Amino acid sequence: MDKPLVVYEPFRAGLPPMRDYLRSLWSRRTFIAEFSRSELREQNYGSVFGQLWLILNPLLLSAVYFLLIYVIGGSSDSTRFGHLTASLFLFYLIANSLTGGVKAITSGQRLILNTSFPRIMLPISATVIALFKFIPTVLVFIVIHAIIGLPYSWQMLWAIPIFVIALLMALGMAILISCINVYFRDISSMLPYLTRSLLYLSPVLYEAANISERIKKAEIANPIFYLLDSWSRVVVHAEAPSRMGIIHAAIWALAIFFIGSYFFLSRERDFAVRL
Amino acid sequence: MISLSDFNHEHIPQGVAVSVKDLGLTYTTSIDKKPTLKARIKTVGRGKKHTRVVRALNEINVDVHYGTVLGIIGSNGAGKSSLMRVISGIVPPTQGRVEVFGSVSTLLALGVGFNPSMTGRDNVYLGGLAAGMSRDEIDRNFDAIADFSELGEAIDAPMRTYSSGMYARLAFSVAAVVEPDILIIDEALSTGDAKFKEKSLNRIKELRTSDRALILVSHALATIEDICNEVIWLNKGKLMMRGKPSEVIAAYREFVDARKSASSDEDV
Ligand SMILES: Nc1ncnc2c1ncn2[C@@H]1O[C@H](COP(=O)(O)OP(=O)(O)OP(=O)(O)O)[C@@H](O)[C@H]1O
Ligand SMILES: [Mg+2]
Repeated sequence: MDKPLVVYEPFRAGLPPMRDYLRSLWSRRTFIAEFSRSELREQNYGSVFGQLWLILNPLLLSAVYFLLIYVIGGSSDSTRFGHLTASLFLFYLIANSLTGGVKAITSGQRLILNTSFPRIMLPISATVIALFKFIPTVLVFIVIHAIIGLPYSWQMLWAIPIFVIALLMALGMAILISCINVYFRDISSMLPYLTRSLLYLSPVLYEAANISERIKKAEIANPIFYLLDSWSRVVVHAEAPSRMGIIHAAIWALAIFFIGSYFFLSRERDFAVRL
Repeated sequence: MISLSDFNHEHIPQGVAVSVKDLGLTYTTSIDKKPTLKARIKTVGRGKKHTRVVRALNEINVDVHYGTVLGIIGSNGAGKSSLMRVISGIVPPTQGRVEVFGSVSTLLALGVGFNPSMTGRDNVYLGGLAAGMSRDEIDRNFDAIADFSELGEAIDAPMRTYSSGMYARLAFSVAAVVEPDILIIDEALSTGDAKFKEKSLNRIKELRTSDRALILVSHALATIEDICNEVIWLNKGKLMMRGKPSEVIAAYREFVDARKSASSDEDV
């Protein structure tokens, strides 16, 4: 008799066989691309005019926040506007990933109850969607950068590793929060307040250089504070980021990614009976 | 995790396709509508349980051989869909062991169409990709699927605009066209109209070859009797009987009639 191709045994908390899992994930990479595309299309980005929204959205967003800091702060210069847009766009990469990720598992109920596939595909897709929304904002920022005459230098190449760290952070957060939401559904209703607080606690509406040392120390607890600070230094001021900032961001991103993935992978076989 | 394309496998006819041993499955659901943090905090320290445990399957032992068409019958909530979910690897068993010797395609109740706001076409593609098929494979089969479903232009309409019969048509077409080693069809036959039902029955008969195992879940007892060569009857998660279709169905009918004398058992 043949040997069994697949054996299903009782669920034990613990990681699945990683090689098989990754192989099966890799073989479904087209699903991730296709799923993200149709989700975007569904969110009205399908038509030509719809795609315009990918650019209009971040522009309007930064206009609104600029109005806010102009009214409150009284003054404003072009660097400030550059900082605001650059930071806001990167912040939204993470925030969009979180909002997409939180419902990734619970709203995929039908698919999860009827097909067997690596569940982590769903939060990954949420991050891919956030990435697709982020790309046009980069173009917008490049134009803004040129128009308001911000400086250029080779140090700006730091933007690439910082972006990679940000993407890893976004992915880790999406994975973690999608898993938490299976067990505690009220996370999804708390999320808007969480992201809002994260926005105010991070150097987006203000610059990190302008706040007190004491608060800056406390911001070590904020995973994205030094990430956004490094980003702004690099793409707005064309300076090198502080080494501490990069290390802080990288450690947080790796920690969230690995902890999130560990929880997710060790619990995912249990999701289907809890939806 | 398996997929249709992962394996290319030669089978011995009459070999075992699926072997289920001492299978038990328990669902854990919250008593409240949703498992929220608030609900947890409320019950902390009071020792009140916030979950309800549903024993959906209990000590099930079944072997399915290649070349058979196995029918599964039982009343609502008997555990039929749950058994199919375990066999296709969607839900891990709570107890026991399931061995699968081949690639499985499942057509569980409403399997295709997980996102009602997407079109039928998108759903077929996404469902197929999620199940591990390649884009080419779906491209190759898509026309056949669309033809078989006879949905016409509706294939490009969002699935929320579908009637339940149209839904079932599409779901069945996907399963019928993709030719896996082990095909599981859960209640996809029940909502189609007479013409489509006949067409799907013919298709199932075509699929009934010696190197394939078919598992059919249905409340349509006459259909089961017609096409299956073995039937199992589940009741409240337990295996009540297994054997020749006519005998098992007769016993099931008797059991149902004994409980409710009403004619609850009209063929759908
Ligand atoms: N996702 C779930 N969470 C909790 N309990 C569930 C879930 N799915 C099924 N159950 C429970 O498991 C039991 C068996 O359900 P199942 O869907 O397997 O029945 P079935 O035989 O397919 O019924 P039907 O003929 O109505 O399709 C039922 O008591 C049901 O309440
Ligand atoms: Mg069912």
